[in-house]
Amino acid sequence: MIATVVDTKELWETVVAAFVAGVGVTASFSFVILGAARFAGLRRADRPLAAGAFGALAVVALIVALAAITLGMIAMLSK
Amino acid sequence: MSADVILAIVIATALAFDFTNGFHDTANVVATSISTRAMPPRLAVGFAAILNFVGAFISLEVAATVAKDVVESGAITTTVVFAGLIGAIAWNLATWWFGLPSSSSHALIGGVVGATIAAAGTSAVLGEGLLGKVMIPAVIAPMLAFVVGVVGINLAYGIAGRERPGTVSRGFRMGQVVSGGLLALAHGTNDAQKTMGVITLALIANGTLSESAGVPFWVVASAATAIALGTYMGGWRIIRTMGTRIIKMDSAQGFSAQGAGAAVILTSTHFGFPLSTTQVISGGVMGSGAGKRLSVVRWGVAGNIVVAWLLTLPAAAGGGAAVFGLTELLGGGAAAVVIVAALSAFGSVLLFLRRNRSSLLAAPAPQEATA
Repeated sequence: MIATVVDTKELWETVVAAFVAGVGVTASFSFVILGAARFAGLRRADRPLAAGAFGALAVVALIVALAAITLGMIAMLSK
Repeated sequence: MSADVILAIVIATALAFDFTNGFHDTANVVATSISTRAMPPRLAVGFAAILNFVGAFISLEVAATVAKDVVESGAITTTVVFAGLIGAIAWNLATWWFGLPSSSSHALIGGVVGATIAAAGTSAVLGEGLLGKVMIPAVIAPMLAFVVGVVGINLAYGIAGRERPGTVSRGFRMGQVVSGGLLALAHGTNDAQKTMGVITLALIANGTLSESAGVPFWVVASAATAIALGTYMGGWRIIRTMGTRIIKMDSAQGFSAQGAGAAVILTSTHFGFPLSTTQVISGGVMGSGAGKRLSVVRWGVAGNIVVAWLLTLPAAAGGGAAVFGLTELLGGGAAAVVIVAALSAFGSVLLFLRRNRSSLLAAPAPQEATA
């Protein structure tokens, strides 16, 4: 009965979008911190290759997090 | 002329409601950033006020829901909207006085629904919109924020938890500048829009706007200004008392809680669901706390939220209906609205003074406090 009154599609989209956005941004930013921390440690240990890989992870994760936030804002502004 | 006087009073009351919403909610928006020392208090409050203002401009979906999906805008009058607002304010004041949990957003919608039922009967209430756009999202949103908070903090600890604590802490604190900003933006957009919706409803009821018209820009700008001013002014009160009120959490939990709250509020706003932002933020905070250790969560807060869910809508609806009845009893015109508005303002001031007086009397003297 409730399904006939409530727009379950909208509600479901809200749940999925909020979950993906909230968890996704937190996970991406955690990778930024992991990458940055390991980059600093490995650089001090004079392991440039591994440090570079973790540095790249930090940069990519930061781009993913910022892109997710930007896309979310664009979606809100465009409706 | 008489109709314009009522409309002016309704707009002023709605903006005052918006101001108090910002004033009251500052704590929820900035507490996480301040408690983890991601931002100094003054900066956090100023930042939140600006982003609340900006947030009010990014969407109009919630305003459209409040104006068009909850009650039949063509069937009500500005007096009904006024009675709904006073009913909501009365409920908020009563819960504040007795220390009961409440949601300003649910009180506002409940007040308008109650006054509408008293004035035009249940047929003027859009049951589908009320259930599908307000009541069900109100129940789901805090639980969703809780789940997002739990999953988020577990991922954060799993991914970055083994690194040096200092580095992790600094990193998440930097991230909190963004997540705290998003939370303030989310708060501004959802909460300010409820006021925009109520003012738009009053403008339609008055015949100033057609039923198909959108929200005028001056309504958006004034609601944005009221909530931003409220946030800024409320912040100074919080700065003075923050030492005792804020929950202890680390910066990863703060980031996760703010991210969960912002994601749920912004997504819901996109679909036009008017939420209790306080309850959603509480859900995110409890989730990020429970993800670390269940015992750190104040489960009493969850119980309070359930009580707020059950009580606020019907109680505010009763208040709205009673205020409408009183206004009608006094003649129903502009004079009646002015009398009820004056009585409400007088009653509110009296309550504040009595509360402050009893707080001062209850507070220990300086020498006792230090002893």
